[in-house]
Amino acid sequence: MSIYLIPWIFSPVFVVSWLFVAALYAWLLIRKPSVVKKRYSLWRVLCFYLGWLSVYLVWHTYFDYLSQYMFWVHRLQHLVLHHISPLLLVMGLSGYTANMQPSLLVVWRFIPSIIHWPCGLFYSIVQHPVVAPLLFVGLIYFWLWPGIHFSAMLNQNLYYVMNASMLLDGFLFWWLILGPAWRGEPDGFRVRIIMLMVVLVPQQLLGAYLSLSGSVVYDVYEVCGRAWPINPLSDQVYGGIITWVPASMMSVVGFLLVLRRRLNYQQV
Amino acid sequence: MRNIIRLVIVLLVLCACEPVEPTRLTNTSGLLPDLSFQLIDENKQLVTQQDYRGQLVVLFFGFTHCSDVCPTAMHKLSSVMGKLATSAAGIKVLFVSVDPDRDSFSRLKRYTEIFGPNFVGLTMDKESIRQMSKRYRVTFGYGEANAEGAYDVSHSGAMFIFDRHGKARLLARPSSSIEDIFVDFQRLLAE
Repeated sequence: MSIYLIPWIFSPVFVVSWLFVAALYAWLLIRKPSVVKKRYSLWRVLCFYLGWLSVYLVWHTYFDYLSQYMFWVHRLQHLVLHHISPLLLVMGLSGYTANMQPSLLVVWRFIPSIIHWPCGLFYSIVQHPVVAPLLFVGLIYFWLWPGIHFSAMLNQNLYYVMNASMLLDGFLFWWLILGPAWRGEPDGFRVRIIMLMVVLVPQQLLGAYLSLSGSVVYDVYEVCGRAWPINPLSDQVYGGIITWVPASMMSVVGFLLVLRRRLNYQQV
Repeated sequence: MRNIIRLVIVLLVLCACEPVEPTRLTNTSGLLPDLSFQLIDENKQLVTQQDYRGQLVVLFFGFTHCSDVCPTAMHKLSSVMGKLATSAAGIKVLFVSVDPDRDSFSRLKRYTEIFGPNFVGLTMDKESIRQMSKRYRVTFGYGEANAEGAYDVSHSGAMFIFDRHGKARLLARPSSSIEDIFVDFQRLLAE
């Protein structure tokens, strides 16, 4: 096996849970073989597994090692975990789960209320149109706060909590934007456009700050060492640009997908 | 909305409950694992963490050809030892070479002797050092060699400080002052 595919830190929990996600999606497909035959559905399947694979590659290969010891690779890892992969996963899921909802609701009813109630409360809070975008950018700022970033990069468990929270939050955000709860109604359209605009500007400001700052903001990479010799400011500038430009572009992609659904809804 | 306010209050209370040990250097208690290693010292003896139990240990990953970070850190620690005078006998600085190809035992010994009797050079094969550095979340890498065969090495600039029981306690950054290191050493020695 190529050294680039060998995980820096082998995580059985991640491997098992991520394989479970892939298997669950495959099971959804098997249960609804008729939808797979439609041409557009193949694109959904491709999107899902592309998102699934990209999470695996940045989380459990040599890429993860580089992410821990290079700021710009870390930013690239979070771009994938928070923006790109969750969007692909949501695009892959939204078509099927709309059909699956009645049976999923039946399962949900059998869960004891002691689990049911706090989960429902948590979900309704994080999926609130005011909370969700604040959480989306808030989490980026939180993990990039120098003191917190220092602890997260120094402690292995905290590092995985950081990555998992980014993936989960990214998924919840894109699920709210493009999930089956909204079919293209005008009210939902306005809310979604505002949410995408709210997350855009703070990311640009943060990216610009990191790129244009004349001093090193994160000394944890000097403390822990870098994967190869590089000027610390160059590392920060590249990381800032990744936080700034491609992350903003994802809002534009989101906007286009929202617009497409709105137009499709009007045609129906 | 009332639920959100309740949640925020609970989180604030939980944050307020966490005890914070006042230190000048970065507190690493609970962040990093205990001291554990098996390396060869500059006298070609196999050593483990057990050989340094009962002493404060400063762990540093560097290389003797380093022109800035390593000598600066070592001189800082040497100055602290001077300020601590006789109390410094309870401290060992372990200089782990991340460049075993160039850092021979004799070279390591000559290098650590410059800074005083508290300094010990340790080395091993690259894979063993890689595994050890991984434990403390640090890494190292090599640049391209020039015509003379010299190459740059990226490495950690941190000084990891462990107490007498081998527990991770503090971390001195490259920017930490001699005074801050001195004050925190005094506190750990007094425990």
